[in-house]
Amino acid sequence: MFLPDYYEFCARVKTVAGHRALDRIPSMLSSLGVARPMIITDRGVSGAGLIKLVSGAMKGSKARVGAVYDEVPPDSEYTIVNAAAKLYRAKKCDSIIAVGGGSVLDTAKGVNILVSLGGANILDYEGAGAVKRKLKPMIAIPTTSGTGSEVTVVAVIADHKKKVKIPFTSYFLLPDIALLDSRMTKTLPPFLTAPTAMDAMTHACEAYYCMAKNPLSDATALMAIRLISANILNVIKKPGDLQGRLDLANGAILAGMAFSNSMVGMVHNLGHATGGACGVPHGVCMSLFLPYGLEYNMHKRAKEIGELLFALAGPEVYAATPVKQRPEKTIEYIRKLNQDLHDATGGRHARFLKEIVDREGRQMVPKEKLADIARTAQGDGAKVYNPEEINYDDAMMVLEYAYDGKPLKRKKIRKG
Amino acid sequence: MNYDRYPEIKPGRKTIKRIYIAVMLFVVGRAIQAACRVDETVKKEFKNLKDGFAFVLGVHPYGPWMIVGRDAKGRAKYMGWNPEGKKIPLKMSIKNVESAILVFTFQESTAVAFARNRFVVDGDLIDALAVVRVLDLVEVYLLPKLIAALAVKRYPKWSELSPVRKHVGRIVIYTRALLGF
Repeated sequence: MFLPDYYEFCARVKTVAGHRALDRIPSMLSSLGVARPMIITDRGVSGAGLIKLVSGAMKGSKARVGAVYDEVPPDSEYTIVNAAAKLYRAKKCDSIIAVGGGSVLDTAKGVNILVSLGGANILDYEGAGAVKRKLKPMIAIPTTSGTGSEVTVVAVIADHKKKVKIPFTSYFLLPDIALLDSRMTKTLPPFLTAPTAMDAMTHACEAYYCMAKNPLSDATALMAIRLISANILNVIKKPGDLQGRLDLANGAILAGMAFSNSMVGMVHNLGHATGGACGVPHGVCMSLFLPYGLEYNMHKRAKEIGELLFALAGPEVYAATPVKQRPEKTIEYIRKLNQDLHDATGGRHARFLKEIVDREGRQMVPKEKLADIARTAQGDGAKVYNPEEINYDDAMMVLEYAYDGKPLKRKKIRKG
Repeated sequence: MNYDRYPEIKPGRKTIKRIYIAVMLFVVGRAIQAACRVDETVKKEFKNLKDGFAFVLGVHPYGPWMIVGRDAKGRAKYMGWNPEGKKIPLKMSIKNVESAILVFTFQESTAVAFARNRFVVDGDLIDALAVVRVLDLVEVYLLPKLIAALAVKRYPKWSELSPVRKHVGRIVIYTRALLGF
């Protein structure tokens, strides 16, 4: 068993999960001692009536919503954070309730940095050491089962001008409370449920085989994979399955706990770069790069990748597969899952880069952009935690295979 | 109450370890300056950094430190050990002396040290990764393969760094680092 000589693990977020967990909001607000929370969300969430659910749950509370900022775009950037922080100050709010997917939760974390530590530009706090003290109280209510941001120490915020995604890391970015209510993810359509759940799956898989893995992140990662693998297809076929939705949300939060403490690797490295350079949604990148991340690191992490099969496919498949074949079977299983999701979403779940299209049906990643992506990936921090080195040429090689959806030729991987 | 029963404990200085780290930082700092004039990859990395870029690498909180900056021509310049009064956009500090010793005695590679949360990066992460790439390459030049292979994630293949380029580069970098030009 792989045990590091040294590791750190911190998951100090109070988690409240259940079919009607929102009902606990009044007591949570009073336990945090806040009176004017600001709700940060996006138009899709408020349009689906989820903010009404939250404000309805606040009836009977002494707290009043100070402001609702619902203009967070799908791929939020620093200017949005700066604008929302301005509103928070103008409305004299004292805390934050973030309701949404990864973009909303990360934006809310950015706003919290600015309103707690001062300043007008969130970019002044980028990196891993800039946030050094406790921030304002924050409740995170995810509406996708993917990001795990409700329990992570990271916020990723884009700079669209530079076409990069900028990470902000600090233990103080952990929200005070994560609230999972099955009603909050019920309205998420299947074509969004698939990539967001695969995002969580990627968090758990990378947490399990990348360089900062540790026994606690392993435990949460494996349970996350079990929950996601067992529910992802069912929920896409039956979106109203509240128990399945809650199980997926629990899988996502466990995956978040895992990767927040062990970080991620090549899949996120290339995914962040593809998102930054071409605007591809994060979850889409994660699902299609995941098999490549496993293949690329196979020579260094075969045992760990083989162990993932137990959580992915269950004890029968695991026991029936010879030990030597388990790593390859894991990759095969992930590729098959992507294919099943593609079929279940009527072809909207992309399996490779060439297949990704925007709302107008235009190809989002033309082949000539691959060099840009590989270059951008060199400036993304996730590469540090990948077991194998990834320089520009390595990234280009993987991107070319991922463009057409062909499995990697293992001989082409330069082994360190 | 006998207050002498409750002694105050002053933290040790770990002087020998600090001296060792200071020497390593001095050599690496001057070697980065030299490598930027010898190796095309290091040269390119510094060319791509912003005007006025500098970074400080050392041990939190009292040092030792080394500061390397980018001059007007886009080349690396060793700027000494004292960060006081200097405008330094990127600070990379190792959390304590013991962690720094693990890194500078090559018991832990830079990547493993990052994975074990031993570094604090304050500044632009893209620049920090460029610095890590430069440090890896400088270690390959300065150290024999047996030791450098412990310090980097993947020792460069022949196609990336030929033995001739490596050995000639090593001699020139050591000479320049010792003479300080």
